[in-house]
Amino acid sequence: MKILLVEDEQALRDSIITYFTEEGSICETASDYPSALAKVNLYSYDCIVLDLTLPGGDGMEVLRRLKDLNKKDGVLIISARHSLDDKLSGLNLGADDYLVKPFHLSELKARVTAIVRRKSFDGNNSIIFHEINIDSLAMKTRVGDHTLNLTRKEYDLLIYFIANQNKVITKSALAEHLWGDEMDLSDHFDFIYTHIKNLRKKLLEAGCTDYIKSMYGVGYKFGA
Amino acid sequence: MKLAQKYNRANLYTSLLILVLSGAVYYFAIHYILTQKLDHDLKIEEEEIVAYARKYKKLPIPNDFKDQRISYELLEKGAQRERYYSHNLYFKPDEREAEPGRSLITTIRLEGDIYRVSITKSSLEAEDLVRLIFLITLSVIVILLLSLMVINRFLLNSLWRPFHETLKHLKAFNLADANEFSVQPTEIDEFEELNQSVLVMAKRARHDYKELKSFTDNASHEMMTPLAVINSKLDTLIQTEALSDKQGELIEDVYLAVSRLSRLNQSLLLLAKIENRLIEDEEKIEFGALISLKIRQFKELLQANSIQVIQQLEYREVYMNKHLADILMNNLISNAIRHNNDHGNITIQLNQDGLSVCNTGSPIALDASKAFERFYKDASSEGSGLGLAISTQICNLYGFKLDYLYVNPQHIFRVEF
Repeated sequence: MKILLVEDEQALRDSIITYFTEEGSICETASDYPSALAKVNLYSYDCIVLDLTLPGGDGMEVLRRLKDLNKKDGVLIISARHSLDDKLSGLNLGADDYLVKPFHLSELKARVTAIVRRKSFDGNNSIIFHEINIDSLAMKTRVGDHTLNLTRKEYDLLIYFIANQNKVITKSALAEHLWGDEMDLSDHFDFIYTHIKNLRKKLLEAGCTDYIKSMYGVGYKFGA
Repeated sequence: MKLAQKYNRANLYTSLLILVLSGAVYYFAIHYILTQKLDHDLKIEEEEIVAYARKYKKLPIPNDFKDQRISYELLEKGAQRERYYSHNLYFKPDEREAEPGRSLITTIRLEGDIYRVSITKSSLEAEDLVRLIFLITLSVIVILLLSLMVINRFLLNSLWRPFHETLKHLKAFNLADANEFSVQPTEIDEFEELNQSVLVMAKRARHDYKELKSFTDNASHEMMTPLAVINSKLDTLIQTEALSDKQGELIEDVYLAVSRLSRLNQSLLLLAKIENRLIEDEEKIEFGALISLKIRQFKELLQANSIQVIQQLEYREVYMNKHLADILMNNLISNAIRHNNDHGNITIQLNQDGLSVCNTGSPIALDASKAFERFYKDASSEGSGLGLAISTQICNLYGFKLDYLYVNPQHIFRVEF
């Protein structure tokens, strides 16, 4: 994946770059409005991660410029503004998704991956991780020749794990992803365990390698 | 006590007192003057009698003139001489009735004999005059008081109208309300000054409030970025290989704190947003479907606590913002779960008048006056303490009413549409 990260906060930029490049993605950065505009004009990206409040200009203008140039880059807006109107106007201008700060890097990764997958025009809707093969259009999961009968939550969980493969994912990130951040589940992460247990069981029964590792106190890691 | 009432009372008492006093002074003054005049007439009469007696050496015939009677009485030898005026009764010769009169009693010496002469004049006319004056004074009092009342009733009311208008506006004044504060122009300087001061005050209060709001808004937003940095650094930190169990636990606590802080921040921002009426985009929401959806979303949480949900849902459409409807139901249902017992139950009823969420839980009723305040929470609560405050604000925004009541063993939160 080729990603442009437009974010003025250096510490946040560094974290995101580290998280994404470890996966083998190419990640370019822009720290202000002019450089973001210049990069958007010159290059094409699979996904642009765009902060709205930038030194030197409004992130929305970058989005407008992108649409004027008729580019098909995916856009994910990240903003501290948790406002209904920002969200709507951003999406109306053609942003693909919107993520409110603060967010989990795993959530960002999952969203970017989803955008890139939707934007890919080669007609390939399958997500492949070793022996696991997922048809994201039909929402069908196979392990080898076995078709898995996953619930919606288990399916989402698996997609999330694969998008963040080899990363430690926190329980709260998983809970927020599966149940939304408005539910305020705070200390009720225990029942996530049930879903993970069931997913793992179904994968193992289909003859899959055990990819899910529990990291004590922190969360889970999915990887070979 | 109203100003007009107080003023009226003072006015009434002083005018009554002054009028009564002046009436009395009038009465006595005129009475005195008229008596003086009568006495003067009596004295002239006396002089005439004395002159007559000196000239003719006999007393004049005690004939009665108009309103005047003279009588003589021979006194014993050696009687004291006397001369005094007195109020007396005057008997008209042709009438039986007595009239008020004024007498001069005097003595006259005629050839060694002493006669007592009494001259009496009717003072009826004078009394009539005094009565007339008294009546005029009385009617003046009555007319004055009546006109005072009329003036107070109509003139004062209309004079004070601008004041009451301003007061009405002041009472309805709401800092968060976007409506411009308006006052009616008035010709009265004092009220105009009041209006101007009120306008200036309202403007300044609005300005300060706006400043504070935008400060809170900016501060909350600015806080989000460092929180995002903390979160992303934690996410990066947990990727490092050698993380002990102890470190994992510590990091999880930090995660929880960060998540709570950002949630709190978002709640505050949302509250400010609703209070400033910055939320638009109303649409038709079918609450029955929304509630069913929410129950499905909370399914795992309900199962984890073995809570049974009873739904009695009618079809009810409400115009409101979809996001706010979502938040409202999230808050009510998650509260009902959070404060429930294991193996408890939740009953959600929806009908045309409103919706109620009842849950089993602690056997002690909440303090209904405090439950809707910001940051109110009981000791066992893990929430931000803003959920109900936000719910109340959402309900206020759309003119709904949010109530709490406790009917053993159910805690009931009811929204009236």
